Amino acid sequence: MADETNSLRVRLVSPERVLFDTTADAVELPAKNGYMEVLFGHAPLMAELGAGDVRLHGGRDGGDQVYNVSWGFVEVLPDRVTILANDALKPGEIDVQRAQQQLDRGQKEWQEAGDSEEKYTEALHRIAEAEAKLATAHEK
Amino acid sequence: MANVLDLRRRIRSVKNTRQITKAMKMVSAARLRRAQERTLAARPYAEMITSVLESLTRRVDIFDEETGNLRHPLFATRPEKRVLIVVISGDRGFAGAFNANITKTAFQFIKGNPEIEIDVEAIGRKGRDLLRRRYPIASYSEQTDENGTKRQVRNERKGKVEITGDHPGMLIKLEANRVFDLAQNIISRYVHEEIDAAYIVYNEFKSVIAQRLVVERLLPILEIGKPQITGAEEPTAEQKERAAHAALSAGITLEEADTEEADEEAKKFGTANVDYIYEQPAEELFNGLLPQYVSAMLYHAMAESVAAEHAARMTAMDSATNNASEMIDSYTLQMNRVRQAAITKEIIEIVSGAAAV
Repeated sequence: MADETNSLRVRLVSPERVLFDTTADAVELPAKNGYMEVLFGHAPLMAELGAGDVRLHGGRDGGDQVYNVSWGFVEVLPDRVTILANDALKPGEIDVQRAQQQLDRGQKEWQEAGDSEEKYTEALHRIAEAEAKLATAHEK
Repeated sequence: MANVLDLRRRIRSVKNTRQITKAMKMVSAARLRRAQERTLAARPYAEMITSVLESLTRRVDIFDEETGNLRHPLFATRPEKRVLIVVISGDRGFAGAFNANITKTAFQFIKGNPEIEIDVEAIGRKGRDLLRRRYPIASYSEQTDENGTKRQVRNERKGKVEITGDHPGMLIKLEANRVFDLAQNIISRYVHEEIDAAYIVYNEFKSVIAQRLVVERLLPILEIGKPQITGAEEPTAEQKERAAHAALSAGITLEEADTEEADEEAKKFGTANVDYIYEQPAEELFNGLLPQYVSAMLYHAMAESVAAEHAARMTAMDSATNNASEMIDSYTLQMNRVRQAAITKEIIEIVSGAAAV
Protein backbone atom coordinates (compact mmCIF):
# COMPACT_ATOMS: atom_id res chain seq x y z
CA MET A 1 0.00 0.00 0.00
CA ALA A 2 0.89 3.60 -0.18
CA ASP A 3 3.60 4.93 2.08
CA GLU A 4 5.19 8.35 2.31
CA THR A 5 6.98 7.87 -1.00
CA ASN A 6 4.05 7.02 -3.19
CA SER A 7 1.00 8.76 -1.87
CA LEU A 8 -0.82 11.50 -3.66
CA ARG A 9 -0.86 15.04 -2.44
CA VAL A 10 -4.40 16.31 -2.96
CA ARG A 11 -5.55 19.89 -2.71
CA LEU A 12 -9.03 21.30 -3.10
CA VAL A 13 -9.17 25.05 -3.68
CA SER A 14 -12.25 27.22 -4.12
CA PRO A 15 -12.30 30.92 -5.01
CA GLU A 16 -12.80 31.73 -1.35
CA ARG A 17 -10.34 29.44 0.39
CA VAL A 18 -8.26 26.28 0.42
CA LEU A 19 -10.56 23.51 1.66
CA PHE A 20 -7.96 20.86 2.21
CA ASP A 21 -4.37 20.08 1.49
CA THR A 22 -3.58 16.52 2.42
CA THR A 23 -2.28 13.20 1.16
CA ALA A 24 -4.36 10.21 0.16
CA ASP A 25 -4.12 6.87 -1.58
CA ALA A 26 -6.56 7.74 -4.31
CA VAL A 27 -9.03 10.40 -5.27
CA GLU A 28 -12.24 10.19 -7.27
CA LEU A 29 -13.10 13.19 -9.41
CA PRO A 30 -16.17 14.25 -11.36
CA ALA A 31 -14.56 15.28 -14.64
CA LYS A 32 -16.79 16.82 -17.23
CA ASN A 33 -17.04 13.64 -19.26
CA GLY A 34 -17.57 11.35 -16.28
CA TYR A 35 -15.98 10.22 -13.07
CA MET A 36 -12.36 9.22 -12.92
CA GLU A 37 -10.14 7.88 -10.20
CA VAL A 38 -6.59 9.02 -9.81
CA LEU A 39 -3.88 6.93 -8.18
CA PHE A 40 -0.22 7.62 -7.62
CA GLY A 41 1.72 7.78 -10.86
CA HIS A 42 -1.10 8.98 -13.10
CA ALA A 43 -0.08 10.61 -16.36
CA PRO A 44 -0.13 14.44 -16.31
CA LEU A 45 -3.60 15.62 -17.16
CA MET A 46 -5.63 18.82 -17.31
CA ALA A 47 -9.38 18.47 -17.30
CA GLU A 48 -12.52 20.44 -16.69
CA LEU A 49 -14.62 19.41 -13.74
CA GLY A 50 -18.34 18.78 -13.85
CA ALA A 51 -20.70 18.66 -10.91
CA GLY A 52 -20.43 15.79 -8.45
CA ASP A 53 -18.49 14.39 -5.54
CA VAL A 54 -14.79 14.48 -4.89
CA ARG A 55 -13.91 11.41 -2.82
CA LEU A 56 -10.67 10.95 -0.99
CA HIS A 57 -9.70 7.37 -0.27
CA GLY A 58 -7.30 6.67 2.55
CA GLY A 59 -6.78 10.33 3.33
CA ARG A 60 -4.19 11.13 5.99
CA ASP A 61 -6.56 13.30 8.00
CA GLY A 62 -9.34 10.93 8.90
CA GLY A 63 -9.94 8.29 6.27
CA ASP A 64 -12.41 8.88 3.46
CA GLN A 65 -13.72 12.34 2.79
CA VAL A 66 -16.45 13.52 0.48
CA TYR A 67 -16.93 17.00 -0.94
CA ASN A 68 -19.55 18.18 -3.36
CA VAL A 69 -17.98 20.31 -6.07
CA SER A 70 -19.42 22.03 -9.09
CA TRP A 71 -17.42 23.19 -12.09
CA GLY A 72 -13.79 23.98 -12.19
CA PHE A 73 -10.54 22.42 -13.25
CA VAL A 74 -8.22 19.73 -12.14
CA GLU A 75 -4.55 19.24 -12.70
CA VAL A 76 -3.17 15.76 -12.26
CA LEU A 77 0.54 15.13 -11.92
CA PRO A 78 2.08 11.79 -10.96
CA ASP A 79 2.38 12.74 -7.31
CA ARG A 80 0.00 15.64 -6.98
CA VAL A 81 -3.62 16.46 -7.70
CA THR A 82 -4.92 20.01 -7.51
CA ILE A 83 -8.63 20.63 -7.80
CA LEU A 84 -9.84 24.13 -8.54
CA ALA A 85 -13.56 24.13 -7.90
CA ASN A 86 -15.94 27.03 -8.47
CA ASP A 87 -17.96 25.86 -5.54
CA ALA A 88 -17.15 23.21 -2.96
CA LEU A 89 -19.28 22.07 -0.05
CA LYS A 90 -19.17 19.40 2.60
CA PRO A 91 -22.21 17.10 2.41
CA GLY A 92 -23.48 18.58 5.67
CA GLU A 93 -23.35 22.10 4.28
CA ILE A 94 -25.70 21.45 1.39
CA ASP A 95 -28.99 23.30 1.62
CA VAL A 96 -31.43 20.70 0.31
CA GLN A 97 -34.28 23.13 -0.04
CA ARG A 98 -32.20 25.52 -2.04
CA ALA A 99 -30.89 22.75 -4.25
CA GLN A 100 -34.46 21.63 -4.89
CA GLN A 101 -35.45 25.17 -5.86
CA GLN A 102 -32.45 25.35 -8.12
CA LEU A 103 -33.50 22.10 -9.78
CA ASP A 104 -37.04 23.38 -10.33
CA ARG A 105 -35.75 26.61 -11.74
CA GLY A 106 -33.36 24.77 -14.02
CA GLN A 107 -36.14 22.57 -15.35
CA LYS A 108 -38.36 25.55 -15.93
CA GLU A 109 -35.58 27.30 -17.82
CA TRP A 110 -34.96 24.18 -19.82
CA GLN A 111 -38.57 24.06 -20.93
CA GLU A 112 -38.62 27.72 -21.80
CA ALA A 113 -35.28 27.77 -23.58
CA GLY A 114 -36.83 27.55 -27.06
CA ASP A 115 -34.20 27.64 -29.79
CA SER A 116 -31.50 29.36 -27.82
CA GLU A 117 -28.55 27.04 -27.42
CA GLU A 118 -27.03 29.26 -24.78
CA LYS A 119 -30.08 29.02 -22.58
CA TYR A 120 -30.18 25.24 -22.93
CA THR A 121 -26.60 24.93 -21.80
CA GLU A 122 -27.22 27.23 -18.90
CA ALA A 123 -30.32 25.32 -17.84
CA LEU A 124 -28.53 22.00 -18.15
CA HIS A 125 -25.69 23.36 -16.04
CA ARG A 126 -28.12 24.37 -13.36
CA ILE A 127 -29.92 21.03 -13.41
CA ALA A 128 -26.69 19.04 -13.24
CA GLU A 129 -25.42 21.11 -10.32
CA ALA A 130 -28.67 20.78 -8.38
CA GLU A 131 -28.96 17.06 -9.04
CA ALA A 132 -25.40 16.44 -7.90
CA LYS A 133 -26.03 18.40 -4.72
CA LEU A 134 -29.23 16.53 -3.98
CA ALA A 135 -27.55 13.18 -4.62
CA THR A 136 -24.74 14.00 -2.21
CA ALA A 137 -27.16 15.26 0.41
CA HIS A 138 -29.40 12.20 0.22
CA GLU A 139 -26.53 9.81 0.44
CA LYS A 140 -25.64 11.09 3.88
CA MET B 1 -19.24 82.14 30.93
CA ALA B 2 -20.66 78.64 31.30
CA ASN B 3 -20.93 77.39 34.83
CA VAL B 4 -19.33 74.27 36.28
CA LEU B 5 -22.43 72.17 35.97
CA ASP B 6 -22.83 72.89 32.25
CA LEU B 7 -19.23 72.05 31.57
CA ARG B 8 -19.43 68.87 33.56
CA ARG B 9 -22.45 67.82 31.55
CA ARG B 10 -20.68 68.56 28.30
CA ILE B 11 -17.65 66.55 29.34
CA ARG B 12 -19.84 63.61 30.16
CA SER B 13 -21.48 63.76 26.74
CA VAL B 14 -18.14 63.90 24.93
CA LYS B 15 -16.93 61.00 27.01
CA ASN B 16 -19.90 58.96 25.87
CA THR B 17 -19.17 59.79 22.25
CA ARG B 18 -15.57 58.82 22.75
CA GLN B 19 -16.63 55.48 24.08
CA ILE B 20 -18.77 54.87 21.02
CA THR B 21 -16.08 55.86 18.55
CA LYS B 22 -13.57 53.74 20.39
CA ALA B 23 -15.86 50.72 20.22
CA MET B 24 -16.49 51.33 16.53
CA LYS B 25 -12.77 51.49 15.96
CA MET B 26 -12.21 48.16 17.66
CA VAL B 27 -15.07 46.58 15.71
CA SER B 28 -13.62 47.87 12.45
CA ALA B 29 -10.21 46.55 13.42
CA ALA B 30 -11.64 43.09 14.02
CA ARG B 31 -13.51 43.21 10.71
CA LEU B 32 -10.40 44.43 8.96
CA ARG B 33 -8.45 41.49 10.28
CA ARG B 34 -11.11 39.12 8.99
CA ALA B 35 -11.23 40.85 5.62
CA GLN B 36 -7.47 40.59 5.33
CA GLU B 37 -7.61 36.89 6.08
CA ARG B 38 -10.23 36.48 3.40
CA THR B 39 -8.10 38.20 0.77
CA LEU B 40 -5.26 35.91 1.74
CA ALA B 41 -7.45 32.82 1.59
CA ALA B 42 -8.57 33.77 -1.91
CA ARG B 43 -5.02 34.14 -3.19
CA PRO B 44 -4.11 30.54 -4.01
CA TYR B 45 -7.08 30.17 -6.32
CA ALA B 46 -6.35 33.38 -8.21
CA GLU B 47 -2.68 32.51 -8.51
CA MET B 48 -3.46 29.02 -9.78
CA ILE B 49 -5.95 30.23 -12.37
CA THR B 50 -3.41 32.78 -13.55
CA SER B 51 -0.56 30.32 -13.79
CA VAL B 52 -2.56 27.69 -15.62
CA LEU B 53 -3.79 30.30 -18.09
CA GLU B 54 -0.28 31.54 -18.59
CA SER B 55 1.00 28.08 -19.30
CA LEU B 56 -1.91 27.40 -21.63
CA THR B 57 -1.19 30.51 -23.65
CA ARG B 58 2.42 29.43 -23.91
CA ARG B 59 1.50 25.96 -25.10
CA VAL B 60 -1.23 26.83 -27.53
CA ASP B 61 -1.22 29.90 -29.70
CA ILE B 62 -3.83 32.50 -29.02
CA PHE B 63 -4.51 32.53 -32.74
CA ASP B 64 -5.97 29.53 -34.45
CA GLU B 65 -3.41 28.34 -36.97
CA GLU B 66 -5.87 27.30 -39.63
CA THR B 67 -8.42 30.07 -39.54
CA GLY B 68 -6.32 32.87 -38.08
CA ASN B 69 -9.10 33.69 -35.63
CA LEU B 70 -8.56 34.56 -32.04
CA ARG B 71 -9.07 31.63 -29.76
CA HIS B 72 -11.23 33.63 -27.45
CA PRO B 73 -13.14 36.87 -27.92
CA LEU B 74 -11.89 38.24 -24.59
CA PHE B 75 -8.46 38.76 -26.12
CA ALA B 76 -9.89 40.90 -28.90
CA THR B 77 -9.26 44.63 -28.69
CA ARG B 78 -11.53 47.19 -30.26
CA PRO B 79 -11.40 50.97 -30.26
CA GLU B 80 -12.98 52.07 -26.99
CA LYS B 81 -16.25 53.74 -27.83
CA ARG B 82 -18.40 52.23 -25.14
CA VAL B 83 -16.85 51.44 -21.81
CA LEU B 84 -18.09 49.83 -18.64
CA ILE B 85 -16.76 50.89 -15.28
CA VAL B 86 -17.33 48.89 -12.13
CA VAL B 87 -17.21 51.24 -9.17
CA ILE B 88 -16.56 49.47 -5.88
CA SER B 89 -17.35 51.61 -2.86
CA GLY B 90 -18.53 50.87 0.66
CA ASP B 91 -21.93 50.00 2.05
CA ARG B 92 -21.79 52.22 5.11
CA GLY B 93 -20.60 55.65 6.07
CA PHE B 94 -18.44 56.75 8.99
CA ALA B 95 -15.39 55.82 6.99
CA GLY B 96 -13.80 59.21 6.49
CA ALA B 97 -13.35 60.14 2.87
CA PHE B 98 -13.35 56.54 1.66
CA ASN B 99 -16.58 56.61 -0.36
CA ALA B 100 -16.07 60.18 -1.53
CA ASN B 101 -12.62 59.33 -2.84
CA ILE B 102 -13.85 56.33 -4.79
CA THR B 103 -16.62 58.27 -6.47
CA LYS B 104 -14.26 61.16 -7.11
CA THR B 105 -11.94 58.83 -8.98
CA ALA B 106 -14.90 57.51 -10.96
CA PHE B 107 -16.06 61.04 -11.82
CA GLN B 108 -12.55 61.95 -12.91
CA PHE B 109 -12.46 58.93 -15.18
CA ILE B 110 -15.79 59.90 -16.69
CA LYS B 111 -14.74 63.53 -17.12
CA GLY B 112 -11.45 62.48 -18.66
CA ASN B 113 -13.27 60.61 -21.42
CA PRO B 114 -16.05 62.96 -22.51
CA GLU B 115 -16.44 61.52 -26.01
CA ILE B 116 -17.18 57.91 -25.11
CA GLU B 117 -20.34 56.31 -23.81
CA ILE B 118 -19.95 54.91 -20.33
CA ASP B 119 -21.98 52.32 -18.47
CA VAL B 120 -21.62 52.28 -14.72
CA GLU B 121 -22.00 49.21 -12.57
CA ALA B 122 -22.15 50.33 -8.96
CA ILE B 123 -21.16 48.02 -6.15
CA GLY B 124 -21.63 49.26 -2.61
CA ARG B 125 -24.56 51.33 -1.42
CA LYS B 126 -22.79 54.59 -0.74
CA GLY B 127 -21.21 54.89 -4.15
CA ARG B 128 -24.43 53.88 -5.83
CA ASP B 129 -26.34 56.65 -4.07
CA LEU B 130 -23.78 59.25 -5.09
CA LEU B 131 -23.66 58.08 -8.70
CA ARG B 132 -27.41 57.86 -8.98
CA ARG B 133 -27.75 61.50 -8.10
CA ARG B 134 -25.72 62.44 -11.16
CA TYR B 135 -26.51 59.92 -13.83
CA PRO B 136 -29.71 58.36 -15.14
CA ILE B 137 -30.43 54.67 -14.81
CA ALA B 138 -30.51 52.71 -18.05
CA SER B 139 -33.98 51.56 -18.96
CA TYR B 140 -34.97 48.43 -20.79
CA SER B 141 -38.15 47.45 -22.52
CA GLU B 142 -39.45 44.06 -23.47
CA GLN B 143 -39.82 43.27 -27.12
CA THR B 144 -41.22 40.27 -28.87
CA ASP B 145 -39.42 39.23 -32.02
CA GLU B 146 -40.90 37.33 -34.97
CA ASN B 147 -40.48 33.94 -33.26
CA GLY B 148 -42.55 35.05 -30.35
CA THR B 149 -39.75 34.97 -27.81
CA LYS B 150 -39.46 37.89 -25.49
CA ARG B 151 -36.24 39.80 -25.24
CA GLN B 152 -35.01 42.67 -23.15
CA VAL B 153 -33.97 45.55 -25.33
CA ARG B 154 -32.21 48.57 -24.04
CA ASN B 155 -33.89 51.88 -24.65
CA GLU B 156 -32.13 54.85 -26.13
CA ARG B 157 -29.54 56.42 -23.89
CA LYS B 158 -30.60 59.37 -21.79
CA GLY B 159 -27.05 60.59 -21.56
CA LYS B 160 -23.46 59.70 -22.26
CA VAL B 161 -23.27 58.03 -18.88
CA GLU B 162 -25.83 55.58 -17.60
CA ILE B 163 -26.04 53.27 -14.63
CA THR B 164 -26.73 49.75 -15.80
CA GLY B 165 -26.83 47.92 -12.54
CA ASP B 166 -26.36 48.01 -8.83
CA HIS B 167 -25.65 45.20 -6.48
CA PRO B 168 -26.80 46.03 -2.99
CA GLY B 169 -25.48 43.81 -0.25
CA MET B 170 -22.86 42.17 -2.41
CA LEU B 171 -20.05 43.32 -0.17
CA ILE B 172 -21.73 42.51 3.13
CA LYS B 173 -21.48 38.84 2.44
CA LEU B 174 -18.96 38.45 -0.31
CA GLU B 175 -19.81 35.27 -2.17
CA ALA B 176 -17.80 33.92 -5.05
CA ASN B 177 -21.01 32.77 -6.76
CA ARG B 178 -22.50 36.22 -7.04
CA VAL B 179 -19.23 37.71 -8.18
CA PHE B 180 -19.02 35.00 -10.81
CA ASP B 181 -22.51 35.85 -12.06
CA LEU B 182 -21.50 39.48 -12.38
CA ALA B 183 -18.31 38.49 -14.20
CA GLN B 184 -20.34 36.38 -16.62
CA ASN B 185 -22.70 39.26 -17.21
CA ILE B 186 -19.80 41.59 -18.01
CA ILE B 187 -18.19 38.99 -20.26
CA SER B 188 -21.37 38.41 -22.19
CA ARG B 189 -21.75 42.16 -22.74
CA TYR B 190 -18.19 42.28 -23.99
CA VAL B 191 -18.61 39.29 -26.27
CA HIS B 192 -21.81 40.74 -27.75
CA GLU B 193 -19.95 44.00 -28.35
CA GLU B 194 -22.21 46.04 -26.12
CA ILE B 195 -19.04 47.32 -24.49
CA ASP B 196 -15.52 47.66 -25.85
CA ALA B 197 -13.66 47.62 -22.55
CA ALA B 198 -14.29 47.19 -18.85
CA TYR B 199 -12.54 48.90 -15.96
CA ILE B 200 -12.74 48.52 -12.20
CA VAL B 201 -12.38 51.52 -9.89
CA TYR B 202 -11.47 50.41 -6.40
CA ASN B 203 -9.27 50.91 -3.40
CA GLU B 204 -6.34 48.56 -3.58
CA PHE B 205 -5.23 47.30 -0.21
CA LYS B 206 -1.94 45.55 0.44
CA SER B 207 -1.70 46.65 4.05
CA VAL B 208 -2.83 49.58 6.18
CA ILE B 209 -0.01 51.77 4.93
CA ALA B 210 0.21 50.38 1.41
CA GLN B 211 -3.04 51.21 -0.29
CA ARG B 212 -4.11 53.33 -3.21
CA LEU B 213 -7.02 54.14 -5.43
CA VAL B 214 -6.71 52.45 -8.78
CA VAL B 215 -8.44 52.20 -12.11
CA GLU B 216 -7.71 48.76 -13.46
CA ARG B 217 -8.57 47.34 -16.85
CA LEU B 218 -10.58 44.15 -16.60
CA LEU B 219 -11.29 43.56 -20.28
CA PRO B 220 -9.88 43.06 -22.85
CA ILE B 221 -7.19 40.85 -21.40
CA LEU B 222 -3.93 41.91 -22.97
CA GLU B 223 -1.53 39.90 -20.90
CA ILE B 224 -2.42 37.29 -18.35
CA GLY B 225 -1.17 37.68 -14.82
CA LYS B 226 -0.32 41.38 -15.11
CA PRO B 227 -2.75 43.82 -13.54
CA GLN B 228 -3.40 46.55 -16.06
CA ILE B 229 -3.53 49.63 -13.88
CA THR B 230 -4.36 52.70 -15.88
CA GLY B 231 -4.55 55.22 -13.07
CA ALA B 232 -3.53 55.25 -9.43
CA GLU B 233 -3.62 57.70 -6.58
CA GLU B 234 -1.47 57.24 -3.50
CA PRO B 235 -2.56 58.56 -0.12
CA THR B 236 -0.59 61.45 1.36
CA ALA B 237 2.12 60.90 3.96
CA GLU B 238 -0.11 62.40 6.62
CA GLN B 239 -2.96 60.03 5.81
CA LYS B 240 -0.56 57.11 5.94
CA GLU B 241 0.74 58.22 9.31
CA ARG B 242 -2.75 58.50 10.72
CA ALA B 243 -3.68 55.07 9.39
CA ALA B 244 -0.51 53.59 10.84
CA HIS B 245 -1.25 55.11 14.22
CA ALA B 246 -4.78 53.74 14.19
CA ALA B 247 -3.58 50.30 13.16
CA LEU B 248 -0.91 50.11 15.84
CA SER B 249 -3.25 51.14 18.62
CA ALA B 250 -5.74 48.49 17.47
CA GLY B 251 -3.12 45.77 17.27
CA ILE B 252 -3.03 45.36 13.49
CA THR B 253 0.28 44.63 11.83
CA LEU B 254 1.50 47.05 9.24
CA GLU B 255 3.49 44.66 7.11
CA GLU B 256 2.03 42.84 4.21
CA ALA B 257 1.42 39.22 5.03
CA ASP B 258 4.12 36.91 3.80
CA THR B 259 2.64 34.97 0.95
CA GLU B 260 5.75 34.19 -1.03
CA GLU B 261 5.86 30.52 -0.17
CA ALA B 262 2.18 29.96 -0.87
CA ASP B 263 2.45 31.94 -4.10
CA GLU B 264 5.39 29.87 -5.27
CA GLU B 265 3.42 26.74 -4.54
CA ALA B 266 0.37 28.06 -6.36
CA LYS B 267 2.41 29.06 -9.41
CA LYS B 268 3.28 25.43 -9.97
CA PHE B 269 -0.32 24.73 -10.86
CA GLY B 270 -0.62 23.64 -14.46
CA THR B 271 2.91 24.72 -15.29
CA ALA B 272 4.92 21.56 -14.68
CA ASN B 273 7.33 20.91 -17.49
CA VAL B 274 5.56 17.88 -18.87
CA ASP B 275 3.18 17.20 -21.71
CA TYR B 276 -0.28 17.28 -20.27
CA ILE B 277 -3.07 15.25 -21.65
CA TYR B 278 -5.77 17.84 -22.22
CA GLU B 279 -9.13 16.26 -21.77
CA GLN B 280 -10.79 19.09 -23.59
CA PRO B 281 -9.45 21.00 -26.56
CA ALA B 282 -7.66 24.24 -25.78
CA GLU B 283 -10.61 26.39 -26.82
CA GLU B 284 -12.88 24.69 -24.37
CA LEU B 285 -10.39 25.04 -21.56
CA PHE B 286 -10.02 28.71 -22.42
CA ASN B 287 -13.76 29.16 -22.44
CA GLY B 288 -13.96 27.68 -18.99
CA LEU B 289 -10.91 29.33 -17.51
CA LEU B 290 -11.24 32.90 -18.73
CA PRO B 291 -14.52 33.69 -16.95
CA GLN B 292 -12.97 32.24 -13.81
CA TYR B 293 -9.97 34.47 -14.26
CA VAL B 294 -12.10 37.58 -14.72
CA SER B 295 -14.23 36.59 -11.77
CA ALA B 296 -11.15 36.03 -9.61
CA MET B 297 -9.93 39.52 -10.53
CA LEU B 298 -13.27 41.02 -9.55
CA TYR B 299 -13.43 39.03 -6.34
CA HIS B 300 -9.94 40.13 -5.46
CA ALA B 301 -10.81 43.79 -6.07
CA MET B 302 -13.92 43.51 -3.91
CA ALA B 303 -12.17 41.71 -1.08
CA GLU B 304 -9.44 44.35 -1.02
CA SER B 305 -11.97 47.13 -1.17
CA VAL B 306 -13.83 45.70 1.83
CA ALA B 307 -10.57 45.54 3.78
CA ALA B 308 -9.79 49.12 2.75
CA GLU B 309 -13.23 50.27 3.86
CA HIS B 310 -12.75 48.80 7.31
CA ALA B 311 -9.27 50.28 7.51
CA ALA B 312 -10.65 53.69 6.54
CA ARG B 313 -13.35 53.42 9.17
CA MET B 314 -10.82 52.36 11.75
CA THR B 315 -8.65 55.38 10.94
CA ALA B 316 -11.59 57.76 10.97
CA MET B 317 -12.79 56.44 14.31
CA ASP B 318 -9.29 56.63 15.74
CA SER B 319 -9.10 60.31 14.78
CA ALA B 320 -12.55 60.88 16.25
CA THR B 321 -11.48 59.26 19.51
CA ASN B 322 -8.36 61.41 19.65
CA ASN B 323 -10.37 64.53 18.95
CA ALA B 324 -12.80 63.63 21.70
CA SER B 325 -9.93 63.19 24.15
CA GLU B 326 -8.56 66.60 23.23
CA MET B 327 -11.96 68.15 23.67
CA ILE B 328 -12.36 66.57 27.10
CA ASP B 329 -8.96 67.93 28.14
CA SER B 330 -9.80 71.45 27.06
CA TYR B 331 -13.22 71.34 28.71
CA THR B 332 -11.71 70.00 31.93
CA LEU B 333 -9.22 72.83 31.96
CA GLN B 334 -11.96 75.35 31.37
CA MET B 335 -14.12 73.78 34.07
CA ASN B 336 -11.31 73.94 36.62
CA ARG B 337 -10.71 77.57 35.79
CA VAL B 338 -14.36 78.41 36.28
CA ARG B 339 -14.40 76.51 39.56
CA GLN B 340 -11.24 78.28 40.72
CA ALA B 341 -12.72 81.65 39.81
CA ALA B 342 -15.87 80.90 41.80
CA ILE B 343 -13.83 79.91 44.85
CA THR B 344 -11.66 83.00 44.60
CA LYS B 345 -14.73 85.13 44.31
CA GLU B 346 -16.24 83.55 47.41
CA ILE B 347 -13.07 84.05 49.42
CA ILE B 348 -12.92 87.71 48.40
CA GLU B 349 -16.51 88.10 49.50
CA ILE B 350 -15.81 86.51 52.88
CA VAL B 351 -12.60 88.48 53.43
CA SER B 352 -14.15 91.80 52.46
CA GLY B 353 -17.19 90.95 54.62
CA ALA B 354 -14.91 90.29 57.60
CA ALA B 355 -13.00 93.51 56.96
CA ALA B 356 -16.18 95.52 56.98
CA VAL B 357 -17.15 94.30 60.45
